Amino acid sequence: MMAQFQQSITAGTAVATTQSQDLMESNGEVSSQAPPKQVALAMERLASAARIIADIRLGADRLLEALLLSADDPQQSIDRVAQLLRKEDTSMRQHFNDLRGLGNQLEASGVLNGSTKLRGNSWGLHMPLVCPDGAVVAYAWKRQLAGQAGASAVDRTSFHHSFSMLWLLQMPIFKCDNSDNSYGYYEEYRLALKAFTDQKKRFFPHLEDEVSGDGEPENAKKWLDSQGSVRTRKADHKEKMSLFDVLKDLECEFPNIRIFTYQRLDWSKRASSLSSIVSENSDSFKNQSLNHSSYTSAGVSNVAAVDQAAVIELLVPFIFRAVVSLHPAGSITPDALAFFSTDEGGNYMHSRGVSVHHVFRHVTENADRALQYFLSVESNHSLTVLLRWICSHQTLFSKTCSKCGRLLRMDKSLALLLPPVHRAFWEMSAANSSQMKLAPDSVSAYHIGCSADEF
Amino acid sequence: MPVKWLMHWQPNQGSTLSSQVLAEVCQCVEGFGAAAKDRKWRTTLTFYRPMARDSAAAPVSDVPRDLLGIALHDRPSAYFFILRHHRIILQADANVQLLMDKLQSYKARVVLHFEGSQYQLGDFQLRVGKCGPSMSETLRGIMMEVEYLPLSSIEKSRPIMEAFFDIWHETITKASLPGHFVISDSNFSDYGLQDYYSPQHTSLQYATCIAQLMSAGRS
Repeated sequence: MMAQFQQSITAGTAVATTQSQDLMESNGEVSSQAPPKQVALAMERLASAARIIADIRLGADRLLEALLLSADDPQQSIDRVAQLLRKEDTSMRQHFNDLRGLGNQLEASGVLNGSTKLRGNSWGLHMPLVCPDGAVVAYAWKRQLAGQAGASAVDRTSFHHSFSMLWLLQMPIFKCDNSDNSYGYYEEYRLALKAFTDQKKRFFPHLEDEVSGDGEPENAKKWLDSQGSVRTRKADHKEKMSLFDVLKDLECEFPNIRIFTYQRLDWSKRASSLSSIVSENSDSFKNQSLNHSSYTSAGVSNVAAVDQAAVIELLVPFIFRAVVSLHPAGSITPDALAFFSTDEGGNYMHSRGVSVHHVFRHVTENADRALQYFLSVESNHSLTVLLRWICSHQTLFSKTCSKCGRLLRMDKSLALLLPPVHRAFWEMSAANSSQMKLAPDSVSAYHIGCSADEF
Repeated sequence: MPVKWLMHWQPNQGSTLSSQVLAEVCQCVEGFGAAAKDRKWRTTLTFYRPMARDSAAAPVSDVPRDLLGIALHDRPSAYFFILRHHRIILQADANVQLLMDKLQSYKARVVLHFEGSQYQLGDFQLRVGKCGPSMSETLRGIMMEVEYLPLSSIEKSRPIMEAFFDIWHETITKASLPGHFVISDSNFSDYGLQDYYSPQHTSLQYATCIAQLMSAGRS
């Protein structure tokens, strides 16, 4: 076992050495390269970092599986479980070493710098990296991770703590020579596993049946009620709607909401122009009540433009502006979204941006969770349900909380007076929203403090 | 521009207005969790009277008798005139005051200052102030300005402002202060103002506020 450790350490060092060689090379290269090449290099490295992180997540899943196996059947040979864990341990270490090496490379090339590290945010990039086609990458990567954890920063920390505790606790088992001594650590395993499973249940409720059942992926679909399961299977067989159809349907259902699509770079221009429009009061008023061409008037030019649309803007005049990005462009797969005030404008306004207003910041945070939820539960209809859910926010400043009945509530922990910013995304599904049963008013709204019990 | 609502203090029967009350109101705001900002704010309201000319060749009836001039704290480069009789709000450059001095067309009859401290409570900006004549410590009234940054439509922000007013009213009642705040409800449509909030709306609210403070002081 110790030999295996040493092996992995040597492997790690070897990787680090080759990477440090790369580093030396790249250091020399960096100063003489033109910026686009640097961007491409950084992009590549970020992409491989994303792949490594995906591998780490898979490894974490495998670890969890192994632990659950052992939890289910303690009589089963503990050796088998220990072997699985050892294997995973080696590959996880390898992944982390690779990631560390990549991080060093990125730091050397100036993508990550000391000031961001000092803020204790080692993978946080404050300058979004913009690709030649206008896609914002690094920012997305961080937000996606954050969104996929499906929790606020505080929650994420506790989630990671319980996970790392779990992972660390499995170390003692490898220090034992034979399986007899390892039973002593079993109790700690069980405690750590319980803490982890509780946290997992809290953040990924839809994965519950998936793992505790017979482990088949089909069970995830059966998470909806027994009647719903039949419908979702049928829905899967239905043809995927085009983006144009999705937007046309949405416009019919919500005629007061303005829908616009843009190519990525066009949106950047629009966002910058909004800041100059905003400074003129009267223009902003006209801008919001202006009649833009709608999707119901099916013109050929509209369809052609929609095929390359990468950004959808939903504007509810005087209430909010939501920016949704699609990846790939023209598809019906939402990628990120953010909410802003209708008076805001500037380069920071994009699907991964943050509003200057507290209320929209919290709505966006909840929207990240909703997006991940819809992507995992309603894979083919995630955009449709997401857009309908966004439209339910038109009552953001008028609908009272479904729990406490008030509009404004003082959140003591945040020291903010906020309206109900959490719209119950868990109540929405393709089944009930496509049958037009779900009017925007019927989606429950909760204050931040009030929704904790409901979700 | 973010919506603002003005409230003025209505003292209870028999109780007097004092700076003590103002201090207690500020304490309530801070107790709310609002963070005090360093800068103070001040809005000045001036009642103008037309100057009588010796060689009065031009008919004097055309000249408005009742002219209100307002210098807002958040628009230092502009000056607003309100002609209440004609229901007109006029925006001019701040230099117009110099011009009026030179032309000697209008004389300032009464000058009132609204000044105090400002606070930030998330998306709300609160300004608590006293109203009094310049160069004097006397307190004519207490008022409060509540600004909600994310919204610019008066209609859409009404539920929020009402909810805020309810919460604020509860806080004041719990602190057992000798009075309560009343929203200075101005009739914007009378002056041809739109739903989208603007400095003209603020000027009108100050004019309404001072009228209500004066009538409250009289009773």
